[in-house]
Amino acid sequence: MLSLGPIAFAAPWLLLALPALPVLWWLLRVTPPAPRRVTLPSIGLLRDLPLTEQTPARTPWWLLLLRLLAAALIILGLARPVLGPGAAATGAGTLLLVIDDGWSSGGDWPQRLATANAALEAAGRVGRQLALLRTAPAETGEPLRVLGPMPAADMRARLAALRPKPWPPDRAAAASAFAAWRAAEPGPLGSLFITDGLAHGGAPDGLDAALAAAAELTVARAEASPIFLLPPPIAEADRLRLSVQALPSGSDRQVVALARTGDGRTLARATVAIPAYASGGEAMLELPPELRNQLTRLDLDGVASAGAVALLDERFRRRPIGLLPAVEEAADAPLIGDLFYLDRALGPYAELRRGSLESLLARPLAVVVLADRPVAPGAEQAALAKWVEAGGTLLRFAGPRLAESPDPLLPVTFRAERQLGGALSWEQPQHLADFSAGSPFAGLVPNPEITVQRQVLAEPSPRLSERTWARLADGTPLVTAVPLGRGRIVLFHVTANAEWSNLPLSGLFVQMLRRIVALSAGIQGAEGEAPLAPLETLDGFGRLGTPPPAAAALAAAGFETALPSPRHPPGWYGTAGQDPAAIAWRRALNLGGALPAPVAAPAPPAGARLAAISGIPAERDLGPWLLAAALLLLALDLLIGLQQRGLLGRPGRAAALLGLVLAGSSAWGQRMPAPGGDPALATRLAYVTTGDAAADDTARMGLVGLSDFVNRRTAAALAEPAAVVPGQDDLSFFPLLYWVVLPDAPAPDAVAVAALNSFMRNGGIILFDTRDEGSGDGFSPGARSALKRLTRDLAIPPLAPIAEDHVLRRAFYLLPDLPGRFAGGQVWAAREQDRANDSVSPVIIGGHDWGAAWAMDGKGNTPFAVIPGGARQRMLAYRFGVNLVMYALTGNYKGDQVHVPAILERLGN
Amino acid sequence: MAEPSPAAAALRAEALGAALPPLVVAADRVASTVLQGVHGRRRAGQGDAFWQFRPFLPGDTTSRIDWRQSAKSDRLFIRETEWEAAQTLCLWADASRSMEWVFDRGRPSKRARAELLVAALAALALRGGERVRLLGGPARSHSGRAGLTAVVEALAQVVKSAALPAPDPDLPRHARVVLFGDFLSPLAEIQAAVQALAAWPVRGHLVQVLDPDEATLGEGNRAYAGRVLFEWGGGQVLVPRVEDARPVYLQRLARQREGLAAIAGAAGWRFLTHRTDQPPEAALLALWQALGPE
Repeated sequence: MLSLGPIAFAAPWLLLALPALPVLWWLLRVTPPAPRRVTLPSIGLLRDLPLTEQTPARTPWWLLLLRLLAAALIILGLARPVLGPGAAATGAGTLLLVIDDGWSSGGDWPQRLATANAALEAAGRVGRQLALLRTAPAETGEPLRVLGPMPAADMRARLAALRPKPWPPDRAAAASAFAAWRAAEPGPLGSLFITDGLAHGGAPDGLDAALAAAAELTVARAEASPIFLLPPPIAEADRLRLSVQALPSGSDRQVVALARTGDGRTLARATVAIPAYASGGEAMLELPPELRNQLTRLDLDGVASAGAVALLDERFRRRPIGLLPAVEEAADAPLIGDLFYLDRALGPYAELRRGSLESLLARPLAVVVLADRPVAPGAEQAALAKWVEAGGTLLRFAGPRLAESPDPLLPVTFRAERQLGGALSWEQPQHLADFSAGSPFAGLVPNPEITVQRQVLAEPSPRLSERTWARLADGTPLVTAVPLGRGRIVLFHVTANAEWSNLPLSGLFVQMLRRIVALSAGIQGAEGEAPLAPLETLDGFGRLGTPPPAAAALAAAGFETALPSPRHPPGWYGTAGQDPAAIAWRRALNLGGALPAPVAAPAPPAGARLAAISGIPAERDLGPWLLAAALLLLALDLLIGLQQRGLLGRPGRAAALLGLVLAGSSAWGQRMPAPGGDPALATRLAYVTTGDAAADDTARMGLVGLSDFVNRRTAAALAEPAAVVPGQDDLSFFPLLYWVVLPDAPAPDAVAVAALNSFMRNGGIILFDTRDEGSGDGFSPGARSALKRLTRDLAIPPLAPIAEDHVLRRAFYLLPDLPGRFAGGQVWAAREQDRANDSVSPVIIGGHDWGAAWAMDGKGNTPFAVIPGGARQRMLAYRFGVNLVMYALTGNYKGDQVHVPAILERLGN
Repeated sequence: MAEPSPAAAALRAEALGAALPPLVVAADRVASTVLQGVHGRRRAGQGDAFWQFRPFLPGDTTSRIDWRQSAKSDRLFIRETEWEAAQTLCLWADASRSMEWVFDRGRPSKRARAELLVAALAALALRGGERVRLLGGPARSHSGRAGLTAVVEALAQVVKSAALPAPDPDLPRHARVVLFGDFLSPLAEIQAAVQALAAWPVRGHLVQVLDPDEATLGEGNRAYAGRVLFEWGGGQVLVPRVEDARPVYLQRLARQREGLAAIAGAAGWRFLTHRTDQPPEAALLALWQALGPE
């Protein structure tokens, strides 16, 4: 082992090859490269060259350097360099590795194992023997003992086989095992204690003290170890309250709890925030009851530890319960209502439903509670009996009404009602007797403060005793039950409110109701000493698996107090199978419920060296990396050699291809959107640019004036008009195109024609203006032939002069004629009978130079005089514009006016 | 013909339909550019085409008087025809394998260039009314504009042989001979062949067609640098450093050319060089001017 700073070489003798590099250099210089082969017909001229220049072919210095570097890398790589070799562990002689492998080590087990491995490698390199002591009891239940001493090679396999255990370590037992081993192995010793930093159990365990006293000790601990304990959640009315316990830390932390189903799906997640210096945090997991019933476990995301798993057994399921009082109105009266206490007792654990019996039974129910409510004979009784026989649990409470009119759906026959205590009674109010072992309430402790003043008495019968679940101290039954079909009927001989007894005020009432609800859905049997065999248990990483061999059955009653251990590993207990009874029997033993909150261990004894688990970098073998680098360099050298011999394709070609691709991709540049914002955001008129700046300006001013007029006079809101070029701009945003036909207008190209036809087909309107009609005759000679040329390829429907009753004349204003700057000409639109596009004409053709009449400059003046003239003509021109815009925006809506007489006539009749 | 590329084959197939191989087209094109610059043959002589009327001079035979023209005036005129001295132009292009070598695929091979020059020269000569025949091919002469197609077809039938042509019995005396080749073989062989032809007697030209990489040993070409193993025809020459060998090569090539020029000069012939990266028109113009009547 040769150590050079942070790098050590495992096979340093190979470095002797390094001085051979200059020899290699000389060889490379002497040995010429393979010649390039070239055909040449004039080879004859090259024969018998004078041998003046028979020098070795020269290799470029950089190529030489490359090859030397590759050779050097190969030599260095084969010498097995190691980056950051583990510091030699403390002490001399045997190195004792003490490893905490309890549940709290699962979260950062790889780092712990890496720390142990680093110490093992370092000790192995100097030939030290190793011994191993685990602190958690083994799965087999064997007592703890120290393994070794043995060589590093043997220990490596044992270390690799080490796994965290899903129960807490037993450091006291480990200390005694160490003491026993130390007595047998008194040689020189150094020890490394990889601890989880927790104090397990209240009393000081004395292990680290014993280690420190025996030999030089290094304590390796993780500074920010992910030790979290997840106790079973607390079920509230409509959510689960999660709490996470952790070691206090100097910074805020967050863990994510995942709620999973049996098949591993995550149904919900909650983030639990643990503030700095706090020993835990809480979060709420909100889930609908149906989903909550599917949950089987809660995990902390990213924490692989048995402590971070809470298995949810039947106790966390919610069962829907139907509540039915005698009188619905008074049922919820505070403190005296029939359902007031039931609601509060059952609400946190079950989903409560209210309503008529019929509507309640329409949905699946686990329990129906009848609080002092007689069951009417007939259909209601039959329905209820059928439901109970199908597996329902009917829970009834006695009361004055029921005592008056008992029905058959009762476990007992009533004999009388008795009052205990009170002015006319000798007897004192009765207390509860202890629950018998066969009762479902077995294990509950009756509160001595509970007294019963009134109850209904059952007719004595031979079967009364076996039907009784709870008694009063004098032996009279308080709770009786009878199976009926696959279900059962349970009767409390007292009321559900505090009128007859103070049982509903006690916590026992809640527990009794929970037992009954848990028994519902056809579950027979009781909790007690019945042993439940381990079914699936968690390993140290929180994964479910087959139980270890030492796992033993656990009595159902023992789950509350059992501490996870090799005999009782955390996990599922019960019978296998998917039938509801088996699932209902199944119980979960969780670390979180059984263990106290984690507590930090006291400081290590004086004299012990401290090391951080995460601070010890794992040894890194650099050899493969160096060899890979050498391989890369050699591949590069090969490429260069091929290129020098002309065996590679010309790089220019590839570069040209690349350039072509890049040039092609840059051609995908997006077209800049039109200035003035997105045309889809506002309605606006548009004019087709003609190429003549003056005409375009007039058209723009005309549409500005018209838009202004329309905005002032109507509900339409038009934005600034736009200039469009058909075929280039998207026309679909505009309801109306104003197109001034210039005499020299060219025919639109195919793309423009396609765009315009699509525009008209989809409901757009084009107003063609030749500016030479009526009084304007001769103003624009040649515009009509230009119009023909322009519209030759457009899909213009058959045209007709705009009739007196055309919608355009009445869409907003009633217009006798349609003047623009000129008047008296003919205006054309599609024939009315053309039903295509809802009779809305896609084109309007005229020559009144409307744009000039509408035109309004920046100051609000009208720059063009109308001919023959007058304010009325301009006003009519604007009104035509309004009608046009209305026509474009609303179509033939006003055309329905033709039906007005018919409608009025019908209304009149 | 050199092996036609697919595109050329297509073109050739298309052109065969018009009975005009692509070489004919190319030769015609090259030849027409040269003809526009050369008018040396415009003079009176034996031939069919009208040249000019000239006054009857004493000594002229009366049979040459053009009576129709003479009847228009008082003087007698003689109708002169253009000189059409039909001479046989014998052409030969080296068909050995070395002519097909080309280093850069973008350049024509020496053989393609030599055949183009042969065809173009044949086109020029046929347009000028000369007769054209190929040495080493079928022993018949072609004349007339249509003869070009026959010449080009005959080019394909020429025996692929590295040997220089020898005079055959059908070779007309005093014909003109143009030999195209790379003429890299030993000078003695060339001298023997030229002397045999010159003794026939024919006069002629040697045109050495070389690839630029041959002419300069690939100067500026990265493949001709450093350690190179040159191969040709089973022979190999290892040149440790081409840059050092280049002056020697150029010197030897110059010596070969001097030898060729000396051989040509001794026989009264002329020696021209051509490189395939030069335009064929240049060589054709030089040749045509050399072939023209003095």
